[in-house]
Amino acid sequence: MLDFGNFKARDCGNGLGRRSFLKTASALPFAFGAGYGGIDLEAARKLGDRAKAKSVILLWLWGGPSHLDTFDPKPDAPMEYRGPFGVIPTKTDGLQVTELLPQLAKRSHLYSVIRSMQTTNGGHPGAGTVGLTGFEENPTVHPNFGSIMSKHRGRSGALPPFFYLGQGIPRDLPRRIEGYGGGTLGKAYDPFLVSCSENGKVGIPTLDLLPGMTPNRIHHRRSLMAQLDDTSRKLDGKGVKGWNQAHHAAYGLLTDPKARDSFDLTTETQATRDAYGQTSFGQSCLLARRLVETGVPYVQVNWSEYVETFTPNGDFGWDTHIYNFELLQDRHCPIFDRAFSALLDDMNSRGLLEDTLVIATGEFGRTPKISNRAAREHHKDCYFSVWAGAGIQPGRVIGESDKRGERPVTEPITPLMMGTTIAELSGIGARERAEMKVLDGGSVINELL
Amino acid sequence: MSFYSFTRGCFFLLGLLTAGFSSAQTPLTTDGSNKRDPVFIDDGATLVYGVDENRDLIRLRQLDLDTLESKPYYESANRHHVEVAFSRDGRYISYTECTGNLTAQFVIKDLQEKKDYFVKHSGRGGTRSPAFAPDNSVVVYAFAEKGPQQLWSVDMEAKNKKQLTQCEGISNWPSFTPDGKTIVFSNTRENNYEIYSMDANGSNEKRLTENTIMDIRPVVSPNGKQIAFTSMRNGFYNVYVMNFDGSDVRQVTDSEERDDYPTWHPDGKRLAVVSERKGKFDLYMVEVPSSGKITTNR
Repeated sequence: MLDFGNFKARDCGNGLGRRSFLKTASALPFAFGAGYGGIDLEAARKLGDRAKAKSVILLWLWGGPSHLDTFDPKPDAPMEYRGPFGVIPTKTDGLQVTELLPQLAKRSHLYSVIRSMQTTNGGHPGAGTVGLTGFEENPTVHPNFGSIMSKHRGRSGALPPFFYLGQGIPRDLPRRIEGYGGGTLGKAYDPFLVSCSENGKVGIPTLDLLPGMTPNRIHHRRSLMAQLDDTSRKLDGKGVKGWNQAHHAAYGLLTDPKARDSFDLTTETQATRDAYGQTSFGQSCLLARRLVETGVPYVQVNWSEYVETFTPNGDFGWDTHIYNFELLQDRHCPIFDRAFSALLDDMNSRGLLEDTLVIATGEFGRTPKISNRAAREHHKDCYFSVWAGAGIQPGRVIGESDKRGERPVTEPITPLMMGTTIAELSGIGARERAEMKVLDGGSVINELL
Repeated sequence: MSFYSFTRGCFFLLGLLTAGFSSAQTPLTTDGSNKRDPVFIDDGATLVYGVDENRDLIRLRQLDLDTLESKPYYESANRHHVEVAFSRDGRYISYTECTGNLTAQFVIKDLQEKKDYFVKHSGRGGTRSPAFAPDNSVVVYAFAEKGPQQLWSVDMEAKNKKQLTQCEGISNWPSFTPDGKTIVFSNTRENNYEIYSMDANGSNEKRLTENTIMDIRPVVSPNGKQIAFTSMRNGFYNVYVMNFDGSDVRQVTDSEERDDYPTWHPDGKRLAVVSERKGKFDLYMVEVPSSGKITTNR
């Protein structure tokens, strides 16, 4: 349990590497109960000083984006690996990206890239759970990182503390991610789902019981309550109970002018809305900025509901078993490049990057070797994540993959470490994590700080 | 002045005010939805293109260039239709239809005889970029069957399948010269997409571009003397035109936003392109400069 590890880590001032200290700190409460015997509280206080993230935005690139075709190109790899795209320089020494990300290349001084991510699961729902909770989904479904934040921060005002922006719970055709929400913390910490169209029209699926109900049409509590009463009468007793629980938050926030206003993208300048692009993902990124600006602690922007990239009624996830190079070139990367760049610019110009952690990643990468379908398959052994804001040292490349992008040659960085880092930067220290019984054994990605 | 004339006049004035082009241009749509694969039919009177109809459906639409009104090409289509092409005489259409998860069928429709033909391959890959020979003898397209993506051909009934290329790397976007004797296409054997020409039987290959950055979607002009293509050579997706031998490259669009999918109007003087402006994707008509901002292919 007390694994000091061999990770490169800076000294924490007490003789322990910081990563080792954190692993020790997170392990001790489970080993010795809640006594925290032996922990250097001064060191813990120093670590707490780094807890700068008031909010977190996670851009969840559902489906598994190809690392070789985006942030970890291998131009010197054999032809059957490297892919068709040229590489371009960035503002960061040692960081080249593919030509599909020209706008993000210009903004690399705002973020750092991890090229040594590794997960344990090669299937979408399973890897999705690992990616969002740090753990496999069996036998216990652990809480989503956002749910941990939700429990720690609690509700402040009308807005729920944990939002999902997207059409639904991320899923593949057979089933959804188990680790989408509260897990062991309970359903009270599930995310609050909001959709955002390419034109910035916000929808709240839990309000679908009321035809015509939109945030812009609810102006005062009395009319809303009248509609609620009318809807309640139409349901039987059991339905009313379930309905009340599920919809309380939705109607509550819509009667709060400040909360309601946060959903109204029309109050943004046209130039700002344009910058994010007329896409659902782009406008969702803008909505995420507005929500954290209002004080929401955790917003997960889902690229798509379905992982499948080319399937009837699918919404073009990153699972590019087919048309990998065409879709990345024609659709996914241009949309992502624009939206993420706009988010970074917008957050930076407003000073929000000071205290907002922004991360972009998927559940895994894609096979370095090009498939017989001229595409790429699932690859759990190596992928990327991008980090910005809230004390992250920008303009750095962290971790390294091998010459073909198959495996990290530095120590792998895992989703559990990602979640622990999110928690640590958000002020959820080892003590709090132990009390919640979450992220057990996780360590901070020290190189980001 | 009719309503439609007024509409076109407004679009023209809007076009004059639109930045990001090296030469005169006119917006054809203003809805801003993601678009792809425009192609002229009806002697240039209609433009067919793919569009994100909603978040989970790419449909073909046809735009009347006189009225600038568009409507679905197939009213009842409820599956993705991508990679559309027409024969020059308008008799045939081909496209790729999504039929299931990771499953697509490549269809050739004889619009005159009202018959459908389906191209069969082993494996579950997707076909790309069909191009009809001017004499309707074959359709050439890109497909990865058991390795690198190659160019293939079939006849109008999807028979007599032949593999035209035996290249390393990925081959894509074939386009015929008007005499049907030559095909231009892109291939990645040199680390990124470069444009090549070859005889229609796959022999006598010549390299036309040489950059460290992509040169894609080459399209031969109606008179066979020029090639329009998309390139990232100035750091952003822009449309260029060059002579058929790769010389005299002229930049057609000049924007940090994306310009892509060039297709020649039958008059050979204009291109339709998909351009992203202020985050919105629309179709524009742009004149091809006879001279102007010259870039190099080296």
